[in-house]
Order: sequence, then structure tokens, then C-alpha cells
Amino acid sequence: MAPLAPRTGDAVFANVERVNAELFTLTYGAIVRQLLTDLEEVEEVNKQLDQMGYNIGVRLIDEFLAKSNVSRCIDFRETADVIAKVGFKMFLGVTASVTNWDPEGTSCSLVLEDNPLVDFVELPDTCQGLYYCNILSGVIRGALEMVSMKTEVTWVRDMLHGDDACELRVKLLKQVPEEYPYKDDD
Amino acid sequence: MQFFGGSSVAEIAPSPAAPPGTATGLAGNNANMLYIFNRSGVCLLYREWHRPLHTLDPQQDQKLMFGLLFSLRSFTAKMDPTSVDKGNLGVPLLPGQGCSFYSFRTNTYKLSFMECPSGIKIILVTHPKTGDMREPLRYIYNIYVEYVIKNPLYVHGSPIKCELFNTNLDQYVKTLV
Amino acid sequence: MGREVAESCVDGVVMEMVSAYCNRFYSSQPELAARRIEAIGFQVGHQLSERYTMERPRFTDHLEAIKFICKDFWSELFKKQIDNLKTNHRGTFVLQDNQFRWLTRISIDASPDNVDASPQDDSLPAPNNAAQFTSMHLYFPCGIIRGALTNLGIPCAVSADISNLPACSFVVRIKA
Repeated sequence: MAPLAPRTGDAVFANVERVNAELFTLTYGAIVRQLLTDLEEVEEVNKQLDQMGYNIGVRLIDEFLAKSNVSRCIDFRETADVIAKVGFKMFLGVTASVTNWDPEGTSCSLVLEDNPLVDFVELPDTCQGLYYCNILSGVIRGALEMVSMKTEVTWVRDMLHGDDACELRVKLLKQVPEEYPYKDDD
Repeated sequence: MQFFGGSSVAEIAPSPAAPPGTATGLAGNNANMLYIFNRSGVCLLYREWHRPLHTLDPQQDQKLMFGLLFSLRSFTAKMDPTSVDKGNLGVPLLPGQGCSFYSFRTNTYKLSFMECPSGIKIILVTHPKTGDMREPLRYIYNIYVEYVIKNPLYVHGSPIKCELFNTNLDQYVKTLV
Repeated sequence: MGREVAESCVDGVVMEMVSAYCNRFYSSQPELAARRIEAIGFQVGHQLSERYTMERPRFTDHLEAIKFICKDFWSELFKKQIDNLKTNHRGTFVLQDNQFRWLTRISIDASPDNVDASPQDDSLPAPNNAAQFTSMHLYFPCGIIRGALTNLGIPCAVSADISNLPACSFVVRIKA
């Protein structure tokens, strides 16, 4: 018996439990708004959104792997492609494109032309420094860390700041194989 | 590099033949036990259905099991006759790197193993006559996602104490043949 | 059917929001954490009911509005209706969902036969904490219901009772 082939983003999305996207968009919006009230500093909100995303990503990776049948993550190029085509599709119902590879193949851009997180959202002038979707960069960082890839994720373009798409830059810092966790003889 | 705390691999097959009535080869009680480890080697779950013989204390037992699998994975990749890129024995592999070992059988039991790229390792010990367990292991991984990962009360990386998970797992392993 | 996302997206952000408020922002002030979580729910409920009632005539009485929450509103959120609605006819309504989606994966009890295997027990919520943490999660849906009703012109207080999981009863007390 050959191992199961990885499934396409469409196939996985069709099979997961889905909910009305408004509930998600408005819930996320209400969280960001409450964080702005409670934490006051926009910088701090960015940081907390990233931290929340990281914690979500650390859990979400197993759901992703279990439902997509993806069984290997060695090559960063392939990994970026899988995130864009299967990961985004499976959770958010949209596909990202992967562009702007550096020559070493260690950093690339994920571009989302359609992003359910920003439906109905307009930022007031007081929120210019806010990375509204910063939770996404945390999710990617957290999920990749669980598959042995340390990354840095930053925003390049943001629809809420007048750009035509959302663009995230993902840079592979290093790959950390799993070490034998116990000391010899203990 | 030493993988085991001084003790030998031979201890793993404790007796020459399956004790009478161990398991029947029929649906119902083919599963002996299950381990789930995370990427830091923490035993998240040990569940036992049929294990008349215990030779070690639980922590030692878990460590030995983890070590056995860790080494086997490394050895099997090193011995792979089809691959050019072998790496060095004992040097950790990246998720999905090298060939992947998924079961071995002794005269008394069969051990099936699944490792996810996230480092979750599921080890299922069953009757030696049970069939290919790769599908069941994936199914168990899905139960883990559904009732452990998605349980809001579960603290990530801590030992699993989720009744719904245990109930679903127990029910499922009864169907294994 | 409009746009959809995976259920895990909502579950994930709600779970993490509750844990951020309870364990990081207000770890020593659970009442404050509860109030913030409820406020987030209120905001969501308020906006959702605004959207779902845009093309409807105004409700003529409280019961009609409550029925709207039980049927249309609940179906939009959970793809099912409230299973049982009771009232004392004096402004208190009990809305029971027999399989409340956000509680179906919670197991509170540790099974006793599982205790010996793992030495790190204190990393887990003890049963008491588990119950407390579960109730923290319920401030969010309570807030949603209160927000939705408030938007329909019905100020009220909402609490939840989970004495038999995964069933959940929401108690709505309308303010005179």
C-alpha cells in the first residue's frame, strides 16, 4: 500500500466543517478593537496579535497535517507552495500566490488578493501603525516552527493601508532537526 | 552515540511466544497499547488495553520506546539501498527526510509507527497478525486533532487527560483487525 | 450560502482570545477578563443581528425577537436551531442547545485510570479550574446573545448553565 497522496486545498476545504465567514470576520474585528482599547499602544496590539497567531499556529499545524495528508516538509520552496495552495485554502477558503523568491530559495512573498479577515474593515486614522492581520504572520511562524523551520514573517503590503493586496514576506532563518531529547544514561 | 540507557534492545521481546489468550486475531481486542510522543520526547499519552507483562516502570518504558523508534528511524534511513543521500548515523533527520519506517513484527506482537512532520509520533502495538495499520494510525491522529488539539482546556504539549479522546480511541481500536 | 471559512478559524481565535485574556492580560483578575470576553461577544452579536435583520420588519414583541434568535440567528451561526425554549412569562427565557457546538470537544473529567502514566499533573487545569475555564469560554456566546438582543431594542442580562455538557442553557433576563 502506498502512502496516501496529499490532498488539494479544494478537496480539503470541501471536507472540513465550515462556518459563515461573517462570524469569523466580525469576531476577529471585535477582538482587535477590544485589544486596542485594553492595550492602548498600537505596537503592543501588533505584538499580541502575533503572539496569539503563534499559539494558534502551533495547534493548527496538526489539524493541517491530519486533514491534508502532507507528510514531508524538507524543501522550503515546496513548503511555501503548500501553505499558499493548501493551507490558506483549507482554513480561509482562499488561495495565496507565492512570488518574489530570492536566489537562495530562502525567502518569498505570499500574496493574498482576497482576504476574509479584512471584509467590512476600515481603519481609523489613529491606527496607522496597526498590522490588522498580524495574527496571520503569527500563525505561519508558529506552524512552521512545529515542522522544524524557524522563520521571520513581515508585512510588505496591506489592503487596509491602501495597497491592492496583502503581501507577507516569509524568510527561512534555519531548519532545526529534532534532536534526541534525553541525555545519554539518564 | 548511545541511544539507550545502557540496557539492551533484547528486553523488548520479553517472552518466546504470545501468552495464551493474549489476542485473538479477531476484531475486538487486537490492540495492546498505544503511545503518543511529541517533538520534545514528552509522552503525551500511554494507553493500555492488553499487557499482561510489565517489566519496567512507566517512565523507563516510555523512554525506551521513544529511543527504539528514534534509532530505528535513523538506522533504516542509513541502510536504505535506494538513496544516495544517507546523512550520518545518529544525526537527526528533518521531517520526511530519508525513507520512513512504519512497522515491525515479532512472533508476539506487531509495532506500527507514524511520525508527523510536526513531530507527533504515534506508536500502536497490536497482535502480530493484524494488517496494515497506517490507515488506522492516521485515523488516530485525526481523533487526537479533534478531541485533544481542539479541546479548549488542553494545554499544548502537556500529557493528555481528555475523556472524549480516550472514549473515542477505545471504541476505535476495538475495530482493528 | 455566503462566504465560508473553516470552523477551526473561529474556534482557534476564540480559544486563543479567551486564553489570552484569562492567562496573560488579566490573569489575576478573572472578573475583568470575563467582562472583556463578554464585551467582544456583545460587539459580534450586535453587528451580526444588525446584518441579519436588515430586510425584516421590526419585531412586535419580545417573544418574537427571542424566537428569531433561536431560529434564524442560531442557524446562521451554528447551522442548527435552539432545541428548547422556555419562559416564565415574566421576562425570563431559557434557550437550550442540546449539542452546543463550542462545547462538544471539551472534556472536563480526567479519567482516573490514566493518572499513573504521567508525572506532570500540575500543568493541567484541575477539575475546578476546568469548570472555571469552561465558564470563561461561555462569556463569549452570552455576549453574542446579549449584543444581538440589545440591537433589537431589548436590554437584558444573559448567563449560561452547563450542568449537563455538551448541552448548554442560556438564561436571558429582560430588563424591565
